[in-house]
Amino acid sequence: MADNDTNPRRRSLLRRLWDGFWSPTGVLSVGFLLIAGFIAGILFWGGFHWSLELTNTEEFCVSCHTMETNLGEYRETVHYNNHSGVRAICSDCHVPHEWQYKIKAKIMAVKDVYHEVLGTISTEEKYEERRLEMAAAVWAKMKASDSRECRNCHAFEYMDFTIQETRAADNHQRAIDDGMTCIDCHQGIAHDLPPGYLEEYEHVVDMLAGTTPIGQGTEVSDVRAWIGGQSDAAH
Amino acid sequence: MISFLDLLGTIGASIIGLPGIIGVAVGMATRNWVVAAALGGLVGLLAPMILGGSHSTHVAITPMEYAISIGIGLLAGLVGCAIRHKGASV
Repeated sequence: MADNDTNPRRRSLLRRLWDGFWSPTGVLSVGFLLIAGFIAGILFWGGFHWSLELTNTEEFCVSCHTMETNLGEYRETVHYNNHSGVRAICSDCHVPHEWQYKIKAKIMAVKDVYHEVLGTISTEEKYEERRLEMAAAVWAKMKASDSRECRNCHAFEYMDFTIQETRAADNHQRAIDDGMTCIDCHQGIAHDLPPGYLEEYEHVVDMLAGTTPIGQGTEVSDVRAWIGGQSDAAH
Repeated sequence: MISFLDLLGTIGASIIGLPGIIGVAVGMATRNWVVAAALGGLVGLLAPMILGGSHSTHVAITPMEYAISIGIGLLAGLVGCAIRHKGASV
């Protein structure tokens, strides 16, 4: 046993690598190691951040088949096409800027890949069946964060109510007075709304306030009726 | 109510964020396990205050976020201390 431990030729490759990793270097100075470690750290962190930003691009988001419906709806909205040319892409609304929340969103987005592979929303019917559930999940996040991602671009403080439509100005003033948040009114700002969305949104608000148990409130029959209506309209 | 995925995301974000990285760094600064854990926990406590807020909203950081951050910071401190014990003779 003792021979196995002391004879390098008899030790496994992994063991030798492990021991070598933890052995003091005899040829490199502390300064060399510090500078090399610093440079390696910058390279690693830069590469990591660069890769992370690649996953924030619109091309990356819509590269999955299941995102085609979302993309089509989004292309009909003011966030995609408008008079000024300023756009909000997927990540602007769905990925926080703050580091820890951004990482959290990226980790949670693994579920999108999982469902893409499973084909959970691979057909129009499946998509519509899940639309209310998916929307509710996003509403819950936005309501809980006080519409943080909206506010990265929009702020009440800088809104000129005098150049807004009267209805918009009135409602924005009411939102300030009542402490409302963007998603309280703008649930369908970038994607289509299914029937029963108002009831579902109220359920989300109640759930976040801790007054309604999770799992209640989704009227599947409404969704199915709406899918039927869509199919009828298509024919 | 925090979902499993939300919990996983919060833990992962803490590991790749300040509590994990600085926690290991401060843990490597000492051979004392208790000091390493305490320093890591302190980083975990401060991290949500420094990075957890948002410049545009005033949403309170939840106790769960604090608890996870402190827990990850504490563990990271211990990992850093273990690295110090294994990889340094001083």
